[in-house]
Amino acid sequence: MLALLLGLHAVLALAAPALGRRLGPRVFLVCALAPGATAAWAATQAAGVLDGSATTQVISWVPGLGLDLALRLDGFALLMVALVSGIGAVIFAYSRWYFSPRPGLGRFAGVLTAFAGSMLGVVLADNLLLIYVFWELTSITSYLLIGFEDEKGSARAAALQAILVTGAGGLAMLAGFVLVGQAAGTYSLSGILADPPGGGVVGAGLVLVLLGACTKSAQVPFHFWLPAAMAAPTPVSAYLHSATMVKAGVYLIARLAPAFAAGHAFWRPLVMGLGVATMLVGGWRALRQHDLKLLLAYGTVSQLGFMVVLVGAGIPELTFAGAALIVAHGLFKAALFMVVGIVDHQAHTRDLRVLSGLGRRMPGVAAVAAVAAASMAGVPLLLGFLSKEAAYEALLHAHLGVGGALALAGVVAGSVLTFAYGARFVLGGFGAGSGQGAGGHDPVGPDVPRPAPAFVVPAALLAVLTVVAGVAPAVVDPLVGGGAGALDPAAGKAHLALWHGFTLTLGLSVLTLAAGALLVVGAGAVERFQGRLAGAPSAVGVYSSALAGLSRLADRVTAVLQNGSLPVYLGVILLTVLALPGLTLLTRTRLPGGIVVGESPLQVVVAGVVLVAAVGAAFAHRRFAAVLFLGGVGYGVAVLFVIQGAPDLALTQLLVETLAVVIFVLVLRHLPERFEPSVWRLGQATRVAVAGGVGVFVAAFSLVAAGARTAEPVSGAYLEQAVPEAGGHNVVNVILVDFRAFDTLGEITVLTVAALGIVSLVQAGRRPQDRA
Amino acid sequence: MRVTGRSTRPPQSLILDTCLGAVFHTVLVFSLFLLFAGHNAPGGGFIGGLVAGAAFVLHYVAGGTGQVTRIAPVAPFVLMGSGLTLAVLVGMGALLAGGQLLESGVLSLDVPVLGTVKTTSALPFDVGVYLIVVGLVLAVLGSLGGEADRPADEPEGTGEARAR
Amino acid sequence: MILVLAVLVGVLYAVGTYLLLQRTLTRVVIGLAIMGHGANLLLLLAGGRAGRAPIVDGPGGGAFADPLPQALALTAIVITFGITAFLLALAYRSWLLRSDDEVEDDVEDRRIARLARRHDEARRHDEDDS
Repeated sequence: MLALLLGLHAVLALAAPALGRRLGPRVFLVCALAPGATAAWAATQAAGVLDGSATTQVISWVPGLGLDLALRLDGFALLMVALVSGIGAVIFAYSRWYFSPRPGLGRFAGVLTAFAGSMLGVVLADNLLLIYVFWELTSITSYLLIGFEDEKGSARAAALQAILVTGAGGLAMLAGFVLVGQAAGTYSLSGILADPPGGGVVGAGLVLVLLGACTKSAQVPFHFWLPAAMAAPTPVSAYLHSATMVKAGVYLIARLAPAFAAGHAFWRPLVMGLGVATMLVGGWRALRQHDLKLLLAYGTVSQLGFMVVLVGAGIPELTFAGAALIVAHGLFKAALFMVVGIVDHQAHTRDLRVLSGLGRRMPGVAAVAAVAAASMAGVPLLLGFLSKEAAYEALLHAHLGVGGALALAGVVAGSVLTFAYGARFVLGGFGAGSGQGAGGHDPVGPDVPRPAPAFVVPAALLAVLTVVAGVAPAVVDPLVGGGAGALDPAAGKAHLALWHGFTLTLGLSVLTLAAGALLVVGAGAVERFQGRLAGAPSAVGVYSSALAGLSRLADRVTAVLQNGSLPVYLGVILLTVLALPGLTLLTRTRLPGGIVVGESPLQVVVAGVVLVAAVGAAFAHRRFAAVLFLGGVGYGVAVLFVIQGAPDLALTQLLVETLAVVIFVLVLRHLPERFEPSVWRLGQATRVAVAGGVGVFVAAFSLVAAGARTAEPVSGAYLEQAVPEAGGHNVVNVILVDFRAFDTLGEITVLTVAALGIVSLVQAGRRPQDRA
Repeated sequence: MRVTGRSTRPPQSLILDTCLGAVFHTVLVFSLFLLFAGHNAPGGGFIGGLVAGAAFVLHYVAGGTGQVTRIAPVAPFVLMGSGLTLAVLVGMGALLAGGQLLESGVLSLDVPVLGTVKTTSALPFDVGVYLIVVGLVLAVLGSLGGEADRPADEPEGTGEARAR
Repeated sequence: MILVLAVLVGVLYAVGTYLLLQRTLTRVVIGLAIMGHGANLLLLLAGGRAGRAPIVDGPGGGAFADPLPQALALTAIVITFGITAFLLALAYRSWLLRSDDEVEDDVEDRRIARLARRHDEARRHDEDDS
């Protein structure tokens, strides 16, 4: 069933381009079938899976590589499926209203469906290599989605940036997977987590895997691709930021942390440090954005940092809080992006300096925005508050020493920033005060058209869920508990609670809200302060200069390695032959015994003739002379064949040589009589030296090879079987047409191809009227 | 192959033509002998094919591509194609007969006049090789040889090439 | 293990290599053919000493020469013939198009090299300016 659902995504993705031409934007409703069916099926499995019994399906794919289509739906996978497919279905419904009919929409819907399927694959896969395959599929499909408006240079650049950053991380992750998988002796994720391998190699592998996860989840210093990726159409952003793509890294860290965090000293400082830094950087940057969507994008960066801190610690209570945050974030962030999409769609701007009074014009949308933003900010009675409470509570009791205290301080500071930019979003987008023609624009707001109700319903649905879950935690508690329990059995025992009593945790929450409110009041001062800091080095700058440097390096390396001169290429290859096998021959082998000068005086004489003819061919100045020398070599070799006891060879050689000389003459008729001297890159001395070296090497090799035989020649059997089995006395011929006839079949095919090549090369040179 | 139609060669002598006719057929028959004897004595498809090719070269030397084209029974690629098909069919035949690909068996036939003729299924394979080698030689003579028939001082296409 | 043949194989390879490193396509083809002769002899040499032609119940006495290298070499001779003819057709085509048979440097590759040089120079200029 799991594979079938993935297949459904693939089928709809392939069918969507054709459907899109007929249905227009309604194609999204058809494509919603895939995530919808997945979510519905997952709901039927929920009861059993959340109790701890996983549904698995294994289809053998490349057993030799340890690569199986192993799919596994456990509690945490179910939680992720609920997000990926549940929110996915909502976003497909939203897309139907967001897009007006335009060409390429069907293709877009197809890619979006493929993207949903890939992400589903990431969370369901139970094989490291399979995870990698789906992981890269999300990178590729997100590249296509971000660059959908391909007429815009900024969209193309953003798409390229996203795929370069996440693709590079993905490659590092693959290397890490191989290291971990080889150390564990299996590539099965559940197998590795059940019996985690240890040691330095595994540590190195984990760092590489974390690198991949951090690029995907936009952790500092790889965070810059995510804000740029908002060049994508808003439904894509909503999906990418809330339930997919960036959650993949969080997902992977959450899977690995319980098994590996305690065993490797670097894990917690690295993961939690990065998470806190990301949370602060993202929040700080979000505070100075004027574009509502960009503000949310930096907000996502910040929230991702938060999630990584929680799920990366590998401590049961924190893991539980992290699972709660993943759900909460999925709901409110998707709703917020959809709201931005509605505003953009109706008002044609997202600049909070220009927008004014939208709240009065579309109160429903404003309410959804307020609820979602409040959930993000951690206002009580909403799901976001519950997860933040759980996080504070767990961090307070985590016993992580100074690092834990720092993490708590960082998370509180990050939450203060979150409150501030959440308020900035709502007040800026829907408030009345800020939009008084700043930046020379007329305020936009009071007269924008109202959105169609169905356009608002998807976002409203998510907002309602946020409220319901916030008021009655029991609604989501089984999902979060079951999900966390699948990661770490101890984490499954925790519960979400609305009221913990008058504890330090509550104090921290109050502190967060108060400090956040202060920051909102002093927003102007903060903005001015940030403006003064603007010159700081940015990760984008490092990225672009690294990219330019890479391109320059490639130019230079190509110029050296691929200089276009055939003799130089050949020279390098031949020198390698001399250096590697040649050196081995010189140092490791001894000449065998039983060397004779020649079989007979005649052989010595003929060999001498051939030798002279060959040297003559090398130094002849006229083309015909060179060809005649070549013919001499051939006839001489034929005589040598006779002496060696090979009449078939001798006959063939004689005939071939005759024909070859005729063909040479046919062609040389056209060419100048003498070889023209030309400018050489490789000097004469170098060529003679290389040629001499090759000659000595081959001569020595032939002596050693002839004496190195240890096994009985296979031809003994051929000699015995030729008459009884193949009915032929000429063993050479029997080998050609019977024992090794397959070789001969290949050979005559080559001859046919060569003849075709010759005829077409000559015919191509003719003028059309000559081509009879 | 193509007939060039504007040969620059002098008209041929009757004596040369007559001699050539005799020698040509002798050589062809000899090539067939080599082909059929090849299983038991020096010879075989390659050697037979090359000898037959050499017979056509004689014709080429005497009368150019035009004469070769007149003499050759079929176009070179028909020869090569049928040769390749024959070889593959022999291999498939062994497969159908329950053996391995390209495995051969011994056949004995009673032919009324000749008596008992013993042959093997490898012979058709060798015939395929023979046809391909003959086709290769004919293809080369027809293409490269055809070009060589042109007057050497008026090479084709080079006028434009030089102008460029 | 016949010394004179081993030396001859070495010389044939040396001459073949020398000609392969030239720019005139005709010489390259001749070099390839000579190297082919060397390879055929090498195959035969690897089969051991000379012997009776490998024809069962044939004339002569003594041990048979090894038939397998002979079969391989026979295949190689005919293939070399096909390749030589093909290369000659290439040389002929080169002559048709450019009225010589020189192997020039690859134009695209040279362009990449020029591009790299130009980038470097541009950068040096920038650094001088700043």
